[in-house]
Amino acid sequence: MCSLAERELTFELPVQAGAVAEFAAAVGEDNQIYFDEDAARLSGMPGIVAPPTFSVRQIYAVPREEREERLGANLDYGRVLHGEQEFVYARLPAAGEVLTGTMRVARDVSKEGTRGGSMRIVTYETRFTDVQGDEVLTSSYTLIETSKDPSNSEETP
Amino acid sequence: MSEPARITMDGVTPGMDLAEVVFGPLSRDDIQRYAHASGDFNPIHRDEDYARAQGAPTVFAMGMLPAGYLAHAVSDWFGGPQRLRRFKVRFTTRVWPGDVLVCAGRVLVIEDGLVKTTIEARRRGDGPAGLDLPEEEIAIAGEADIELPE
Repeated sequence: MCSLAERELTFELPVQAGAVAEFAAAVGEDNQIYFDEDAARLSGMPGIVAPPTFSVRQIYAVPREEREERLGANLDYGRVLHGEQEFVYARLPAAGEVLTGTMRVARDVSKEGTRGGSMRIVTYETRFTDVQGDEVLTSSYTLIETSKDPSNSEETP
Repeated sequence: MSEPARITMDGVTPGMDLAEVVFGPLSRDDIQRYAHASGDFNPIHRDEDYARAQGAPTVFAMGMLPAGYLAHAVSDWFGGPQRLRRFKVRFTTRVWPGDVLVCAGRVLVIEDGLVKTTIEARRRGDGPAGLDLPEEEIAIAGEADIELPE
């Protein structure tokens, strides 16, 4: 069954240098392009850039409750796992800019499980654009709602 | 972490293995630091009682933390993150405090100006008492595409 929500949700993702440094440190980075303007320029970047998975910070702008309320996927989070995550990049976010995120439900399908029961797979896709309206990156956040207790798998934000 | 072997693009060939990069062992503080950095404050990653009430023996890492380390490894293999064009991961098992993360990859093919790789992060460690986990298992598996320089 397929019941794609048509609604979109738009929000801002500020890329502050402090948040970039905090995020980079949290994934063990020591590459100075995340911390130091001069080092970033020496590496051919216009300035400090954000690490590849930085845009997960969109949860600060759109917490789960708001996402569910506005996009209406109606998932039961007691049975939901983070199944997959994909990022497609035109470029990395740059410190100092504010990206615009547009989120929608890109996929909502139900499948029969291999061990009985069914599962529902929902992908929230967020396209991030810059102030010129150009593509920066697209993030696809795929959740799996199981019909059984998900205690052996990944939890979700 | 161990020092990654940075490779040059003209040295990339299909089938080549990317040198393992090891992170950790992961601490509860690392998980807390990532919670603040990412905005993922799900209590299952910080509150022991809550985690147990949800059927987990203790707290565990949010999947995007080891995924972030894996993206870090991919960036280091290819001389920085700036030529990364796609990064996709599937989460296959939880990562626990005390786990070491072993990031590995292989070049699959070079086509359309992209180096296409398969990547994985394995958790290595005893895991929480009572779970009887394998000493080492794949926690994340995926793919990364890196653009060749002009």
